[in-house]
Amino acid sequence: MKPVYWKWLLLVGRLGLALIFLAAGIAKLREPWAQFAVSLYGFKLLPDDMLEPIAKTLPWAEVALGVAILSGIWLRWFSFLASLIISVFLAVLIRSLAIGLQVDCGCFGSGEALGPMTIVRDSSMLALAAAVTVGAFRMHKTHTVK
Amino acid sequence: MKNSLIPAAAALALFAMTLAAAPPTIPAKNYKLSGNPTAAMTVEVYTDYECPSCRNLYMQVLPNLTAEYVATGKVQLLHRDFPLDMHKFTRIATKYANAAGQMGKYDLVAKQIFATQSEWAPDGKVDIAVAKVLTAAEMTKIREIVKSDTHLDDTVTADLAQGGKDAVNQTPTLIIVRNGKRTKIDGFLPYPVLKSYIDQLLSK
Repeated sequence: MKPVYWKWLLLVGRLGLALIFLAAGIAKLREPWAQFAVSLYGFKLLPDDMLEPIAKTLPWAEVALGVAILSGIWLRWFSFLASLIISVFLAVLIRSLAIGLQVDCGCFGSGEALGPMTIVRDSSMLALAAAVTVGAFRMHKTHTVK
Repeated sequence: MKNSLIPAAAALALFAMTLAAAPPTIPAKNYKLSGNPTAAMTVEVYTDYECPSCRNLYMQVLPNLTAEYVATGKVQLLHRDFPLDMHKFTRIATKYANAAGQMGKYDLVAKQIFATQSEWAPDGKVDIAVAKVLTAAEMTKIREIVKSDTHLDDTVTADLAQGGKDAVNQTPTLIIVRNGKRTKIDGFLPYPVLKSYIDQLLSK
């Protein structure tokens, strides 16, 4: 494939990844933070005193990451960070499903019960984030060599 | 003078008759409501007696909420019944709680029903659980109300209708009413987190 196509493909992937994080963050911010705290509590991983700070900050962090990826600045590092974050989310979801927790995913706001489709969707998101990360690193390397 | 008094008296009589004939929009004393009527906030709690998370909310969260906010006049608490179709015996449990409400024993019996959820949920023997906290005379009366009061489920119907307006689709659900705004929180929340959220709203 010609380098120009890679460039366009990376742009599409970058926009998609940015939109995912923006959508996830904004959906949570539209609800009371206590609603996201309910979802976090449901995963039974965090101590109670961590629910509020995470419920209040994580949505803003998602929006900030979405904006950073959208801007294209330090794309390789921000998409790498996005890959790490999605990996953590995915691990939590798989664990919850495996032990049979009936929990509201809270991924894009409340109202989505965790199920196999949630895992499929988040795996696709991880694949996208990883692809953008690899693409961004390769693109950076190409530009640096030139 | 006499002539002008006649229409006024007639109007007064008509007004009085209208008041007497109109069905009351709210019961004289709503046993599901507690706390200061002029409180700055109302917390409406939709629960189902057979739902385990509702039991946790009732046993772990509401006592703290009541002690710290309802008893101090900051918050008014309103219980709303939201029996889910998936639970076989929740309707009968709801009947017992509301019958107890008519007898002034709502809190005692509702608490007992939640506390003994694991005992009656498999077979629906709510009566046995309730009998442990009421006298024999009270049990006779409560059974009579459960058996023959055709209006016993009226508040449940009203709660379900309000639940539809609030888009409630699971239990427990909290509706926090502050300055006319109804904020919905679906699911169980530990008390410290709920307290922090309520404090935040009250400070605004």
